[in-house]
Amino acid sequence: MTSLLEVNHLEKTFGTHKVLKDINLQVKPGEVLSIIGSSGSGKSTLLRCINLLEQPTSGAINFHEQNILANNFNVTDYRAKVGMVFQSFNLFNNLDVLQNCTIGQTTVLHRDAAEAKKIALEQLETVGMAPYINAKPAQLSGGQMQRVGIARAVSMSPEVLLFDEPTSALDPEMVDGVLDSMRALAHTGLTMILVTHEMAFARDISDHVVFMDQGVIAEEGTAEQIFENPQEERTKTFLKRYLNRV
Amino acid sequence: MKQHRNFWFFLGTLLLMILAVPAATSHAASGTFKVGMEAGYPPFNWTQNDASNGAVKIQGNSTYANGYDVQMAKKVAKSLNKKLVIVKTEWDGLQPALTSGKLDAIIAGMSPTAQRRKAIDFTDTYYHSKLVIIVRKNSKYAQATSLKDFKNAKLTAQLNTYHYTALNQIKGVIKEPAMKDFSAMRVALESGTIDGYVSEKPEGISVTSANPNVKMIEFKGTNGFKTNPEDTDLAIGLRKNDPDRVKINAALAKISQSERDKIMDNAVNEQPKTNGDSENWFVAILKQYGNMLLKGTGVTLLISMVGTIVGFLIGLLVAIIRTIPVAGNRFRRGLLKVVDWLLSVYIEVFRGTPMIVQAAVLYYGAAQAFGWNMDRLVAALLIVSINTGAYLSEIMRGGIISVNAGQFEAAHALGMTHLQTMTKIILPQAVRNSLPAVTNEFVINIKDTSVLSIISVSELFFTGSTIAGQNFQFFHTYLVICLIYLVLTFTITRILRLVERRLDGPQNYNVMANQNQVSAPTDNN
Ligand SMILES: Nc1ncnc2c1ncn2[C@@H]1O[C@H](COP(=O)(O)OP(=O)(O)OP(=O)(O)O)[C@@H](O)[C@H]1O
Ligand SMILES: [Mg+2]
Repeated sequence: MTSLLEVNHLEKTFGTHKVLKDINLQVKPGEVLSIIGSSGSGKSTLLRCINLLEQPTSGAINFHEQNILANNFNVTDYRAKVGMVFQSFNLFNNLDVLQNCTIGQTTVLHRDAAEAKKIALEQLETVGMAPYINAKPAQLSGGQMQRVGIARAVSMSPEVLLFDEPTSALDPEMVDGVLDSMRALAHTGLTMILVTHEMAFARDISDHVVFMDQGVIAEEGTAEQIFENPQEERTKTFLKRYLNRV
Repeated sequence: MKQHRNFWFFLGTLLLMILAVPAATSHAASGTFKVGMEAGYPPFNWTQNDASNGAVKIQGNSTYANGYDVQMAKKVAKSLNKKLVIVKTEWDGLQPALTSGKLDAIIAGMSPTAQRRKAIDFTDTYYHSKLVIIVRKNSKYAQATSLKDFKNAKLTAQLNTYHYTALNQIKGVIKEPAMKDFSAMRVALESGTIDGYVSEKPEGISVTSANPNVKMIEFKGTNGFKTNPEDTDLAIGLRKNDPDRVKINAALAKISQSERDKIMDNAVNEQPKTNGDSENWFVAILKQYGNMLLKGTGVTLLISMVGTIVGFLIGLLVAIIRTIPVAGNRFRRGLLKVVDWLLSVYIEVFRGTPMIVQAAVLYYGAAQAFGWNMDRLVAALLIVSINTGAYLSEIMRGGIISVNAGQFEAAHALGMTHLQTMTKIILPQAVRNSLPAVTNEFVINIKDTSVLSIISVSELFFTGSTIAGQNFQFFHTYLVICLIYLVLTFTITRILRLVERRLDGPQNYNVMANQNQVSAPTDNN
């Protein structure tokens, strides 16, 4: 099967600091890919390069075998197909929960208001946030905001959904609700790329796992390979640290 | 006699005239004797609300005119066997109205200057004014009979009048700085900072009747000031070669000096009181000038509100342009840089110079340099808008920048363009965040529009100056003005805070209350 998304020899430099070095990745449709690694290893940067919130320094990213870095590539169309769930939620503070989930649909996808509302309500229902449709983000807890963030992204009917540590800003008791929503999404067959420190969850839902260290992919494989039988010393050290902590 | 009491007084009467809207009349062959005056220059002419003391109704108006000029006009009209009609006319409109036939005569405290004689004729003098010196009764100057007696006396007079220059005729006098008005000189005299002040006789009559502690020194023959008849004589203005001139001069000749003095004494006593004895001063000011104050308040509100709103839009636009991400091709980048530079020049210039100077440059400068004769109100609105725009553009830019970067990223991640991101997500937040600053700017504008009095916009402060120039109650008038400003700024601040709170909605979200509105399938039975 051909890849939905392909990253080839991707490099990203901030000033003189090379944050990503020769990153290669393939994501197949319906696949759940987890990216793990210690802080500062470049996980977020990689994710942000994928939806062009950061401009890669060199290399190629292909989506449906189209080079997204080409000059004439329609970035906004592409971003509409690649959803993003942020660590700090980034719900639109000026809009209520329902509007957060409809604004992208109406302005970017040009869906009519009624259809957008219907889709948004379905997704909000799925994440259990339907009772809060008129609430403003400031009136919600972190876990509630993140579930709205997921509903907002999914309402756009994306082909790929990117998660950047969606639970790490949450109080422990909020985490499970969000993970449940993500698990449900994975079961719908949505393609997902997930940066997380929730190792148990990653092992549970991932088809493929990438371990990053200092800007390179140090090891990759299936969830079993990485978590049960890591080959690299750095992977072992990293996982040991996490297992001890949890 | 003063040709113009002063600038404020003139503008004040001008304003009154605009309010009064003098009705145009056609020149009747006989029957009526139409006399023009400002009806705002006591004791010569003033406006009152009733016919008491022999006042004459003002044409096309429910008010009455009285004063020395009115009483003289009555006598002249009687001798001509015509019915007297008083036409309230602004000072600058008197001569054109006369020459165009809308008036038959000007009896308005006008001196027959050579300049005026070119355009109109004058009768003989109907009032001759003498300069007097007002002193304290208990001072050594109270017994003075000649200018020589004022050696070493600390004297002053009103600013920009011939009274002040007349002080030079006193040998060894200590010339104190000229003062703005009589009330200031009265206070100075009483407090002893001056020994006396020079004025014309009417003020002398007026002050001595009001204050038993002061005395008016009149001079006989050559003991007094030498003055120019252009300054001291008043005459009736007539059209060139008016056949009635001889008759009027004959009528004037029949009015003796003692009769004239008596008319002036009466006028001084009957002129509108500067401080209401029976009424509370506050009520008196509101009663007499309520309409003017209301109008001034309206103008101030209009200028500051329109200025703030337009300034806000300018500021928003500038801020949007200045926060466009610098990207794209070289041409686009270069263009953005140039525009950005121009905008920062605009901001620096208007934030770095006083609004009063900006107003003067725009209004007077534009008139002089390019012959643009802008409407004062338009100029005022323009200045306040541009000025506010400069301040608010930086505030709005700060507001945009201070919106969390995550908001931009989330919008971009959904596929929104920069424009969509700005209009749908960033600006609503930036505007909301900068609302307190905009409110603040509004309040500042309410206060700062007072500097627009430099271009004679009849806003609240200017109105106050006009009123004070008429009633000489500076303290009380400005106190009222102060109070109005305070009420305005206080209520507007409260109202806008309330609006802000409304916009924010409640702090907490009530799930129960909202469930009714949710049309999710599980909620329906
Ligand atoms: N905009 C930026 N400018 C300069 N350096 C940056 C920028 N963004 C990230 N970096 C640097 O790139 C490196 C990788 O950052 P990144 O956020 O991708 O790490 P991460 O793996 O997501 O870490 P964490 O687990 O803490 O989120 C870090 O050293 C960081 O300081
Ligand atoms: Mg990160």
